[in-house]
Amino acid sequence: MTLVRIDNRLIHGQIIETWLPYTGAKNVVVANDELAHDILQQEIMSLAIPQAVKSSFVTVDEVPATMSRLFSAPGDHDAIILFSNCADARRAFDSGLDFHVLNIGNVHYSPGKRQISPSVALSDEDETCLRHLNRKGVELDFRCVPNDPVQVRF
Amino acid sequence: MAAKTDKKDVVIGVVLVTHGTFGESLLQAAEMVMGPQENCLAVGIDVQKGVDEALEGVRKAIQSLEQGKGVLALTDLFGGSPTTMSLSLMKSENLEVITGVNLPMVVAALQARSMKLPELAEKVMEAGQQGIKVAGAMLRKKAKK
Repeated sequence: MTLVRIDNRLIHGQIIETWLPYTGAKNVVVANDELAHDILQQEIMSLAIPQAVKSSFVTVDEVPATMSRLFSAPGDHDAIILFSNCADARRAFDSGLDFHVLNIGNVHYSPGKRQISPSVALSDEDETCLRHLNRKGVELDFRCVPNDPVQVRF
Repeated sequence: MAAKTDKKDVVIGVVLVTHGTFGESLLQAAEMVMGPQENCLAVGIDVQKGVDEALEGVRKAIQSLEQGKGVLALTDLFGGSPTTMSLSLMKSENLEVITGVNLPMVVAALQARSMKLPELAEKVMEAGQQGIKVAGAMLRKKAKK
């Protein structure tokens, strides 16, 4: 299965210890404009990824093309696609990344945001992005880790 | 007596960077074993906060511990945010990062801080690994003899 997730920390313990085993994915695609140009940070993040799992770091605009390349290559196609914020996920969807479920894991709090679950705080802009995706038929799945109950739905 | 404190040995700083209050509790436990300690700090990463803010907290802690011999960061989970944040500070700080912190590691780190940073790191790793035993099985084996 392929998981599309918003997580402001991108690759970290929850991904490595829970989502990778749960999904069985052999690919992790990190879609983040900043990280796509930061080799050191990429190396740090990929240090703890199990050897059997392939990681790629691409800009948000490159995600649809990266996924078609992944699906056309032989082997295991299951992937975890990580965005650090709602706007990036929306941008990828609007530019052709097809997904039906969006997992919202960690969206950190800052002043002016509304805390809607223990790990998710949304600004007005975040909500607009999620509502847009929801209207387009994307199911919103607010979960930090696979065993969490799905907490909020729009 | 300022002159006296100036002569104090320069030691390696020890910072525990962990999820939540784990590091703080570990440090308290270590002080129960060894008595009060100086030049060590615990920084808990609150995942509800932004990455940048948390990273600055770790950086400040490291800089406050630096006496000229470097700082040893003990983190909990390889691949977790406290570890990746600590690793990203290696570029700017004189820092070594060891993951998988347990109490034997904290004790070893606090005991041998006049060593050089790479040697201390090696010693701390060994202490951590040697502290893990299936002690029940060892005892059963011994009782059989």
